Amino acid sequence: MTEQLAMMDFHPQPQAGAPKPWAFPAPQRGTLDNGLTVLHCHRPGQQVVAVEINLDAPLDAEPKGLDGVSTIMARAFNEGTDKHSAEEFAAELERCGATMDAHADHPGVRVSLEVPVSRLPKALALLADALRAPAFADSEIERLVRNRLDEIPHESANPARRAAKELSRQLFPADARMSRPRQGTEETVTAIDAAAVRAFYEKHVRPATATAVVVGDLTGVDLAALLADTLGAWTGDTAEPRPVPPVIADDSGRVVIVDRPGAVQTQLLIGRIGPDRHDRVWAAQILGTYCLGGTLTSRLDRVLREEKGYTYGVRSFAQVLRSAPDGTGASMLAISGSVDTPNTGPALDDLWQVLRTLAAEGLTDAERDTAVQNLVGVAPLKFETAAAVAGTLADQVEQHLPDDFQAHLYRQLAATGTVEATAAVVSAFPADRLVTILVGDAAAIEEPVKALNIGEVTVVAG
Amino acid sequence: MPMGHTATAEAGSGGLTATEHRLANGLRVVLSEDHLTPVAAVCLWYDVGSRHEVKGRTGLAHLFEHLMFQGSKQVHGNGHFELVQGAGGSLNGTTSFERTNYFETMPTHQLELALWLEADRMGSLLAALDDESMENQRDVVKNERRQRYDNVPYGTAFEKLTALMYPEGHPYHHTPIGSMDDLDAATLEDARNFFRTYYAPNNAVLSIVGDIDPQETRAWVEKYFGSIPGHDGKPAPRDGALPDVIGGQLREVVEEEVPARALMAAYRLPEDGTRACDAADLALTVLGGGESSRLYNRLVRRDRTAVAAGFGLLRLAGAPSLGWLDVKTSGDVEVPVIEAAVDEELARFAEEGPTAEEMERAQAQLEREWLDRLGTVAGRADELCRFAVLFGDPQLALTAVRRVLEVTAEEVQEIAKARLRPDNRAVLVYEPTAPAEADTETDTETAENAEEAGR
Repeated sequence: MTEQLAMMDFHPQPQAGAPKPWAFPAPQRGTLDNGLTVLHCHRPGQQVVAVEINLDAPLDAEPKGLDGVSTIMARAFNEGTDKHSAEEFAAELERCGATMDAHADHPGVRVSLEVPVSRLPKALALLADALRAPAFADSEIERLVRNRLDEIPHESANPARRAAKELSRQLFPADARMSRPRQGTEETVTAIDAAAVRAFYEKHVRPATATAVVVGDLTGVDLAALLADTLGAWTGDTAEPRPVPPVIADDSGRVVIVDRPGAVQTQLLIGRIGPDRHDRVWAAQILGTYCLGGTLTSRLDRVLREEKGYTYGVRSFAQVLRSAPDGTGASMLAISGSVDTPNTGPALDDLWQVLRTLAAEGLTDAERDTAVQNLVGVAPLKFETAAAVAGTLADQVEQHLPDDFQAHLYRQLAATGTVEATAAVVSAFPADRLVTILVGDAAAIEEPVKALNIGEVTVVAG
Repeated sequence: MPMGHTATAEAGSGGLTATEHRLANGLRVVLSEDHLTPVAAVCLWYDVGSRHEVKGRTGLAHLFEHLMFQGSKQVHGNGHFELVQGAGGSLNGTTSFERTNYFETMPTHQLELALWLEADRMGSLLAALDDESMENQRDVVKNERRQRYDNVPYGTAFEKLTALMYPEGHPYHHTPIGSMDDLDAATLEDARNFFRTYYAPNNAVLSIVGDIDPQETRAWVEKYFGSIPGHDGKPAPRDGALPDVIGGQLREVVEEEVPARALMAAYRLPEDGTRACDAADLALTVLGGGESSRLYNRLVRRDRTAVAAGFGLLRLAGAPSLGWLDVKTSGDVEVPVIEAAVDEELARFAEEGPTAEEMERAQAQLEREWLDRLGTVAGRADELCRFAVLFGDPQLALTAVRRVLEVTAEEVQEIAKARLRPDNRAVLVYEPTAPAEADTETDTETAENAEEAGR
């Protein structure tokens, strides 16, 4: 070995060259005759075009007792139209080399299409048919309902999914839609039929409240004509803007153990709610949260993973739940990961110590600098694909943000100081106001967790 | 370069070219220019994977991959991560049966840093490797195993299928994550020897893709990697060749706490890099790749006996590839019902072959997957390394999609007839058990039963 070292020439660490300018792409905005808002963006070289559709059909709008109807509707967009049966529709999409996925979440329904640009016209026509004239055939809806019911036990068995479900139940008031599973429960899904799906569609899906985002290499594509022929044929009335209820959560510090006898690891999810992108603190919160647990050299993993080996990785993050034009929206602030069963107590003890030290001593300038360099520097790689750009543009629309929000965020991040980042992360993760969900072996972890005094401990069935 | 009669004639020809070079120490270097975005991807494949591991040391290649991030002569502690991320880059490493890869995607002006970092650990890892990192990363990897495999329903299915499919003693009998016992048994000396044996410039391919100046980049590669001595101490991996077909059905029933019954199977398929492997890929796509596939239409749409049904292909170059069937049952449906339907569909497909429309759909799907892979500089860098390491020619990456599009329906039918048969598969059946009880008496009982079942 020493021999080998002697033979290699060592050089000092190289200095960076001159950075090349890069900016988050600015989309062009327009409106079709039917009221559909369209954003598009030309990305040279991106042969797989991404199309994102936002539908203003939030989970809050689901009728009482029918949680999951929005999910079933979203899935049914892939199951046939006035021109194609369900099987034919899937076949036609795949013939284009396209994928089309739809999912329902608190802010609304998102439909995502990806297709090679040469087959964009055909795929856009299929997408337009799905939105304009979905079949919602009785037997297909019945199948989707059964399929959804079959999925529920698989989700409950997954420790991460189970933890997320429990955290929502703990944080939000029982009558708030956010407290309940996004895709419904066994009881509510069972009650869904084709009539319910159609009623939801007719009430909440229309071009005037929808947005289409198209991103990719659009060289030689007459997008205006293409859109007019496809999504332009979709018709509908107008709707009053919907009031967005505020998000309320109970973040008094407590611990809930979801019992999994014999589990070799404890899945942890520690969370509360906090500001969304409308808040001036957002950039500082992103920065501080990255320093706390954005990567394996952040504070949490430096101790829990790289020093103690308790985990494969623990991350902290902020994820927007729902935003409102007036800025009353909220995001979920959380720390998640899994630790081995015997070290669950010690790992949580260390985690809380990291939070307390952060609150007492703050971030260092070096940490702040590295975080800014990373968050700003990775932008060109993060947004290399059309799908990544389209997803962010659609998020901005969904969250009632201006089209240049992301571009502006990079300037804000670069201008955010250590003191602001510290204040933001400390107020995002206060050690005494966190709801801790542990999916693990209660017999092994309950006592050690109680001894930590991080809140009252209750055990619920797995 | 032309991509044949594809959906995107311009896609491939948009300047996708690659050049190859070799340093005096044996390091192969592949460069590919693309100036659309100011980023550059660095990818380094070492020709070593879990197939090179020996009995009693499964998981060593992957554990070693973790140690590559623990510092080298000029890089301290987690410096590799810190420097790349601090430069606005992203990075990782992964280990598979056949290779270990390390990659950084950097803003163009930070490319030189990534090369310096990779060279430092290729040449001087042992200067920093110590017991402390070894013990720490051993624990991290054991937690990775728990998180990704042991603590998730069906999490060890792939490991079980592999063990059934490739016989005891075969280099692919175990998966890269390795066993807990072997991870515990690995020593610092094992790690040192592993480095000395496999981490040499003449056992690696370096690809650099993106917004690069080829001349400047070649000069940097020469400067940082050129003086690392090559060596030839690498033993050839054990032969992974097996007969074309298994010649009988292998079977294991797993009784575990899972949410639903499942039928999984692994079919023995042709090695990667062959036209027959591309034909098998198309066959599996027609049968189980997406929501217009034959198995999805039959099991999920029509019979409604399954929640999900699909086929995947694990391409392997040093052993037969593996076609992985995965069906989760719906409600109370029993596995034999599913199995009979699968057999019927496979037999019908072998008899009829794909329709022209099915071929078109399968080829369009695989083509889009290729465009996705080649659509980022990191994906392109990885594919160039793959074809250079496994098949000796990086240029093959740029024509791979054309080869898939050239396969005929007859070839697809032929491979289905020859390989997608009950006597050429290993079957794994999951039967759910009731959840374990929490009190100690039942625990003891469960443990005894488990031991009996294991004999």
